Amino acid sequence: MSGKFDVIVVGAGPAGLTAAQQLANRGFKVLVVERGKKPGSKNVFGGRIYAHVLDKLYPEYVKEAPVERWVRRERITMMTEDSWTTIDFETTKTEHRSFTAYLTNFVEWLDKKAESAGAVVIPEIPIDSLVIRDGRVVGVRAGNDEVYGDVVVIAEGINRLVLERSGLAPKLSPEIVALGVKEVIKLDRNAINERFGLDEDEGLAWVLAGYPTHYLPGGAFIYTNKETITLGVVLYLSHGYQLDTPVHELVEEFRLHPLIKRLIKGGQLLEYSAHLTPVAGLNASPPNLYGNGYLVIGDAAGFLLHLGIIIRGVDFAMESGRVAAEAITKAHDVGKYDAETLSIYGKLLEESFVLRELRAFRNAHKVLIEPRLYSDYVRLINKVLARYFDVDGTPRRLGSTLLEAKGNVTLMDLARDAIRVVMNL
Amino acid sequence: MSLDRKVPIEERLNSNAWDVDQRPHIRIIDPEQCRRCDKKPCLYLCPARCYTPGPDETVLFSHAGCLECGTCRVVCPESNIEWNYPKSGFGVQYRFG
Repeated sequence: MSGKFDVIVVGAGPAGLTAAQQLANRGFKVLVVERGKKPGSKNVFGGRIYAHVLDKLYPEYVKEAPVERWVRRERITMMTEDSWTTIDFETTKTEHRSFTAYLTNFVEWLDKKAESAGAVVIPEIPIDSLVIRDGRVVGVRAGNDEVYGDVVVIAEGINRLVLERSGLAPKLSPEIVALGVKEVIKLDRNAINERFGLDEDEGLAWVLAGYPTHYLPGGAFIYTNKETITLGVVLYLSHGYQLDTPVHELVEEFRLHPLIKRLIKGGQLLEYSAHLTPVAGLNASPPNLYGNGYLVIGDAAGFLLHLGIIIRGVDFAMESGRVAAEAITKAHDVGKYDAETLSIYGKLLEESFVLRELRAFRNAHKVLIEPRLYSDYVRLINKVLARYFDVDGTPRRLGSTLLEAKGNVTLMDLARDAIRVVMNL
Repeated sequence: MSLDRKVPIEERLNSNAWDVDQRPHIRIIDPEQCRRCDKKPCLYLCPARCYTPGPDETVLFSHAGCLECGTCRVVCPESNIEWNYPKSGFGVQYRFG
């Protein structure tokens, strides 16, 4: 690794490779450094990509991208040990809005796009820190090697050691991240279609709350792929210390829950993975998204919209990569990459959905860390329905059943939390 | 392996592709701090069970099976973990990430 580049990108993930492809396409000399053996080999996500951003960037994706299934069915379940209540949404419309995928494959595909545009991608290089001279980022350091660039794009993901070691981000706090643990389970294609009520190539995205995290903030997810399902548990680390069971057993208890066990019967485990995910929106951003000679994009910038049920990382990562490339092009025209010139990145982000949506949902995290959502209310709805359906000759109206089942939760709590959820998510 | 029962974490980790470096990329800085740490969140929150209880309230660490998530360094209340990514591509090789 040596020489001088126009742009150095740290991290070959969805954000970094999008920035690299866009820049290489415009004639910039781009180097992407990646710590994994190949791009994608260190990436993990839940399982779904929202496609709107691909319509703009790679319209050919419908034929080319490694799509597993198109999501046309969405489920939300509130789950206790012995009962569960599900909202099940399905549409016959075949518009391509989101799809399930393996992030590993998807990133490999993005890598091909970046390399065929002319970007140089070098794997197996974990970057130790940025090279900073006179208050300006001028390159990156790996061991005794240094390589220089006019501007450095930091796309290292949420576990942002490079930013921390370079003094550009505080130590990652448990308040802003969650741990996701995931199992990929091989199942016969027909079994998936039958058990999940899906047609060929039709996919399900499913989130579940309550029992999977032992009623702590977080939840579980299931996505159907062609011949596997991915299931996992996400736990907010702000509440992790309250856990009474090791997290690797949580995911197992979820898999063995009576609702799930019968769905994955006969399945074979292909992979067991884990990754951190930002959950606090803009509260997870480093103090500066740009500075003298650098820009931050993707998860490293906190650009993941987490609304409990809808979780969007890849589209935000790719869009921020595209915006960074545009900002660098404009700065190049000016002939400078100082913080003032690169402030165009901030302005372009404001105009794009990245900051527009993250700002619109700026209070989502405060609402979603309310423990009652994952404990009292999950138990409450199941208790109310269990009593209501349990016909034994005593008259039961919904209202009185609710009052009987609500336990310690006051009607004020219920009203206040309902309003907070509806107004902020 | 059948998934209709509990599968020990070691067995689940065996389903992954690995390229293990003999040199550990993570290190407990001061074992004495762990002994005094009453919460020891690493024991519960490491998804690969790399942290296990040792004799006399200590914590033992093994980098084998590490999924490189970073949870331990985030939750350690004493900031007592020296954390690096494995060198030159070593470690877990995700195929279905």
